[in-house]
Amino acid sequence: MTILTNRRGLLRAAGGIATAGLPLPAFAQGSPPPKPDRIVVNASGGGMATQLRRSYFAEFERLHGIRVVDTSPVDFGKLRAMVTSGNPEWTVTEIGGQDVDRAKELNLLEPIDTSIVDLSRYPAAGRNSHAFIGSAYSTVLGFRSDVFRDGSHPKGWAEFWDVRRFPGARSLRNHPVDNLEFALLADGVPMDQIYPIDMDRAFRKLDEIRPHISVWWSTGAQPAQMLVDREVVLATGWNGRFFELARRNAPVGSEFMQGSLKSSAYGIPRGTRQAYWGQQLFQVMTNPRLQAMYATELSYAGLHPDTASFVAEDIRPLLPTAPVNLERQFWLNVGWWTENGARAQERWNRWMLQRG
Amino acid sequence: MSSPGDSRRTTARRRETALFLLAVPALLLLGIIFAWPVLRLLAMSVEDGTLANFEKATLDELYLYVLFDSVKIAAMVMAICLLVAYPVAFWLSRAGRWGVALGMFALLLPFWTSVLVRTYAWLVLLGRNGVVNRWLRDAGLIDAPLPLLHNTSGVLIGMVHVLLPYMVFPIYASLLRIDPDLSRAAEGLGAPAWRSFLRVTFPLSLPGVSAGCALVFVLSLGFFITPALLGGGRVIMVSMLIEQQVREFLDWPFAAALSTVLLVATLAIYALIGRITRGARHA
Repeated sequence: MTILTNRRGLLRAAGGIATAGLPLPAFAQGSPPPKPDRIVVNASGGGMATQLRRSYFAEFERLHGIRVVDTSPVDFGKLRAMVTSGNPEWTVTEIGGQDVDRAKELNLLEPIDTSIVDLSRYPAAGRNSHAFIGSAYSTVLGFRSDVFRDGSHPKGWAEFWDVRRFPGARSLRNHPVDNLEFALLADGVPMDQIYPIDMDRAFRKLDEIRPHISVWWSTGAQPAQMLVDREVVLATGWNGRFFELARRNAPVGSEFMQGSLKSSAYGIPRGTRQAYWGQQLFQVMTNPRLQAMYATELSYAGLHPDTASFVAEDIRPLLPTAPVNLERQFWLNVGWWTENGARAQERWNRWMLQRG
Repeated sequence: MSSPGDSRRTTARRRETALFLLAVPALLLLGIIFAWPVLRLLAMSVEDGTLANFEKATLDELYLYVLFDSVKIAAMVMAICLLVAYPVAFWLSRAGRWGVALGMFALLLPFWTSVLVRTYAWLVLLGRNGVVNRWLRDAGLIDAPLPLLHNTSGVLIGMVHVLLPYMVFPIYASLLRIDPDLSRAAEGLGAPAWRSFLRVTFPLSLPGVSAGCALVFVLSLGFFITPALLGGGRVIMVSMLIEQQVREFLDWPFAAALSTVLLVATLAIYALIGRITRGARHA
C-alpha cells in the first residue's frame, strides 16, 4: 500500500463556510481546446472526495461548466498500466508522495504547465515539474486523552518507546516507511540526521518495541478506530484521522512532536485527452480560500502561503503546516525511499515473520 | 451406403459438434480474458531471459515460508468450512420450505455485504474490549480478554465467515440430487440411520464436498483484505506480497513469478483434492 492510499477522512460535519471563489487569471495563450462534458479525477475517496468536491470541484464546475467525475482508490500500478495502454481514463490522479519521483522517471506524467497553474507564491517544497502538491499531511502520535491526561502523553518517539513511563498497548503501521525514522529518533538520532537511514540500527531499536505492539495496522482507519475502542492507548496515524476524532469529541489526542511530514500530490497521466483541463483544475486548487475550506474540514492544508489566514484560529494549531508544528516535525525523505523502499520492505517482511 | 448404425453415429457426432459450438463463445471469452493474460504474465516473469525471479520466489526462505503459511491457512479455512458447512447443508436438504428460506436468507445476507464492511464488523466484535470479550467477562467465564483478533485465529474466523456459502451450496446441491429412496432402502434393509448416512448419503455427496473444498481452498489462497486487517500484521499471505510488488515497487516480473508459483501450487492442490475425493468415492 502506498503511503497515501487509505488516508480517507470520514468527515461529514457540515462546514458553514461559503464558497468564495476568486476569478481565475486568463494565463492560457490563444483559445482553449474544446470543452469536454466531463473530466475524471482519481483520488483517495471517502471523506476526502467529499471535501475535494465541495471545495475545488464545485468551483471548477462553476467556472468552466465541465462536470468533474471522481473515482478511487489511488493505485500506482493502475496508473502505469493506463499510460502504457495509451488510453488513460483519468484526467488527474492523486499520487502517493513517494511515487512522484518514480512516476516522473517512468515518464507517466504530463509536466505542470506553469502558464496555467500559478505557483509563483508557492514555497519550494510545493513546486514540482510534474506534480501539483495539493496539501501536506503528517504521521503523528495519537493517544487516549483519558489515559494520558493534561498533557502527560508521550512527546516524541523516545517516550513512545518508553513502556515503563507510558504503559499500555501500542500500534504501529505494518510498513517500514515512518517506522524506521521513528525508531532512529527513539534511539536518539537528531531529526536532521535521520537520512541516510541506518537500517541495522533502526531494526535493532524496533526489536525493543515489538513485544508491546499489539497491532500492526494496515489501513488509515485502523489506528483511529483502535484508539476509540481502547484496543490500544497509543498509535501512530495520519493527522487527519486524529483531527476528525478530536472534532467529534472522542477522547483521542495527537502530538505533532517528531511527526513525519509528507506531501500529497496530483498528476496528469501522460497521454490523457483532457490534459489542458487538468491544468485548469490545478489552477483552481491553488486558490487559498478553497484550500482553507478544505483544510478546515480535513486538516490537510494546501501550501499557498495565504491559506492559514483563511482558517479559523482554533483550527490553525491542528494543521501540520502551522509554523509551530512545522518546526517540530521532519519531512520524509522521498528520494531515500524511492531508492531503498523495496529493500527496506523485504527486510521488514522478514522481520515481521520472525516469531516472538 | 451407410448402415443405420453409421448414420446414428454421424448424427451423434453432429450433435456433439453443435453442442461444442454452444461453448465456443464462453471458451473464447475465457481464452481472451483469462488464458492470454496468464500466458503474458508467465512471459513477463522470464522477461530478463533468466529464471532469477523464480529462483527468488521458490528458494528464498521468506517467500517459501509465506507460501507455506498461505497454504496452511487455506487448508485450515477449508477444513473449518467443511465441518461447519456440511451439517448446515444437510439440514437445508431435509428442511421444509420455511427452513430453506430462512437458511438461504441467513447464508446469503452476509454474502451480499462488502467484505471490507464484514471485516470491520469483526474488529468491533472480537477486539480486546469487543462485544464477545465483554460478554465472556460479564458471564464470569474469563478474567483477561481472549486474543481473538490480530492473530491467526482472527484471520480464520473472518475468512470462514466470508467463504462459508461457497462450501454450503455445492454440498447442498449434491445432497438434493441424491434419490431419497436410496437411504430409505438402506434403512428398510435394517441399516441404522448413521450407517445409511455413512455408506449411502455421504459417499454420494462427495462431488459437492470436493467442489466446495476446491472453491474455498482456491479462494482462500488469494485472500488479501481479511488477513491484512484481522491478522494485525502477523499473518502474511502470498497475495499480500504480490500486491506489494505490483502496486508499491512496480516489480511486475517478480510479481509474475510469485503469481505463477501460487498458480502452480493451487493447481497441484486442486488436483490432489480431486484425487482424494475420487478415491474416497470408490473405496
